[in-house]
Amino acid sequence: MTYNRLESFSIVLLVPKWIHRVQSKKQESTFYVTPDHPYEILLFFRCHINTRFDVSIDICGVNCPSQEQRLRVLYQLPTTQYNSCIRIKIGVNEITIVSSVISISPSAGRWEREVWDTSGVHFSNYLGLCRILTDYGFEGHPLRKDFPLSGYVEVRYNDLEKCVVYELIEMAQEFCYFDLASPWQA
Amino acid sequence: MNSRFKHTDPIVVSMGPHHPSMHGVLRLVVVPQGENVIDCKPILGYLHRGMEKIAENRTIVQYLPYVTRWDYLATMFTEAVTVNAPEKLANIQIPERASYIRIIMLELSRVASHLLWLGPFLADIGAQTPFFYIFREREMIYDLFEAATGMRMMHNYFRIGGVAADLPYGWVDKCLDFCQYCLPKIYEYERLITRNPIFLKRVKGVGFISRQEAINWGLSGPCLRASGVQWDLRKIDHYECYDKIDWQIKWQTEGDSLARYLVRIDEMKESINIIQQALKLLPGGPYENLEGRRIAQEKGRMNWNSFNYQFVGKKSSPTVKLPRQEHYVRVEAPKGELGVFLIGDDSVFPWRFKIRPPGFANLQILPQLLKGMKLADIMTILGSIDIIMGEVDR
Repeated sequence: MTYNRLESFSIVLLVPKWIHRVQSKKQESTFYVTPDHPYEILLFFRCHINTRFDVSIDICGVNCPSQEQRLRVLYQLPTTQYNSCIRIKIGVNEITIVSSVISISPSAGRWEREVWDTSGVHFSNYLGLCRILTDYGFEGHPLRKDFPLSGYVEVRYNDLEKCVVYELIEMAQEFCYFDLASPWQA
Repeated sequence: MNSRFKHTDPIVVSMGPHHPSMHGVLRLVVVPQGENVIDCKPILGYLHRGMEKIAENRTIVQYLPYVTRWDYLATMFTEAVTVNAPEKLANIQIPERASYIRIIMLELSRVASHLLWLGPFLADIGAQTPFFYIFREREMIYDLFEAATGMRMMHNYFRIGGVAADLPYGWVDKCLDFCQYCLPKIYEYERLITRNPIFLKRVKGVGFISRQEAINWGLSGPCLRASGVQWDLRKIDHYECYDKIDWQIKWQTEGDSLARYLVRIDEMKESINIIQQALKLLPGGPYENLEGRRIAQEKGRMNWNSFNYQFVGKKSSPTVKLPRQEHYVRVEAPKGELGVFLIGDDSVFPWRFKIRPPGFANLQILPQLLKGMKLADIMTILGSIDIIMGEVDR
């Protein structure tokens, strides 16, 4: 049973306070949720008999600088009982704190750490929220659009000091963006 | 006895990033007390290469060589999911021959990945012999890949709309020969390993994951199927042409490391079965839907390939304009559910390319499994979960 529009709207009627709007495309439904209640809504989706979305398969952070709520957190929830998948979207900005859903589904732990590390969305009620993918003393959140692709620091081994040092990045060649439509060099 | 037994304080051991086993660079900070493990904390990020950020600055065709570096042992799956995402977004159909070729390549890649799981898993436990034998079949698979795609490991083979090149003449026969050769060898591995009492002592009852726990922790792939959940994305999502082939989901109920081993061995046999059927069912026809090569038209540009510029004209790289939609596609990789969440932005570059690696989720259960186990069980459990750090860290 894949979720179509009728069933999505029936879910919305059950919890109207929390859901902004619903989008249904290509047999996937996206629910836009207020940022204060991800915990409640995920608990609802997990336990309600018709929805049973019991796994948190992916949590993703998206940075849309042109919109008012610059960061989005997306929860991807499939269900093992009925074969379908929904998506929950929360729009936050850099200083909003979202409540963690790790007590509902423990698999969310690593994903939330990754969202914190790469996009900078802070999760409350999560004891071990620290950087997971980037370096130990890394500053900044890489997947934000204002963070450059090459980063700010580079690492090299300094033979005089006999250790690895961090230095500001020095590019010998600027980033090659190939302008494919023009045969001449840019 | 008790008076000579000193109370040992727990020490913190860092099973550091450099491992003799082939998982990659994973750092396990283990707190053992004597021989028992009290706690364990995996620290990732040593192989983080910023794949997701790079994807935002590359077209899909430019990004395909990067993609095989996520899971470098089962490379066809990473390519398949990267190419499936724009196909679903832009609604590009693939011809049937391409679909069958993809199935054959994916299943060969699955056999290769499980073989290279088997070798190091047993080498960690202490049996070094299978480690040499698996490379025999894996080299044959490499040869088949090289004949079809040009590269042994990091093939840049899948394209949006099909595959890059058709199978060379005689490849189908060679592949059938390989299947006939490989199946008795898998039975040979079973005869060598499965009822070996030392192996059973090391593996039986170790790392038990119950059914509900497996679902809660978001496991997928053989770890989930070994705990009694018959969840295989090939049957559930009905992607490619798997429905036209007669095959079964392999699963076990025990949920320990032995069950995961048995699931993977059975999957290898089933993959050979699928390959043989797909080779017989392979239809003729085109191997690529050329709509995927449509060049993103930019207004106001002169036509550099016209008659006036014919000596300096440039062949543009095929690009597909990703519509302003988002989609999550997933594929049953040998390690689990490999997914890509793609948000398009009406341009040739994706806006957000989120990779959902199976190893990242499967690794989360490791600390819980290790509490109370012996130090020697760490490698057994870590090996049976089958992670590869290239995709965990991206």
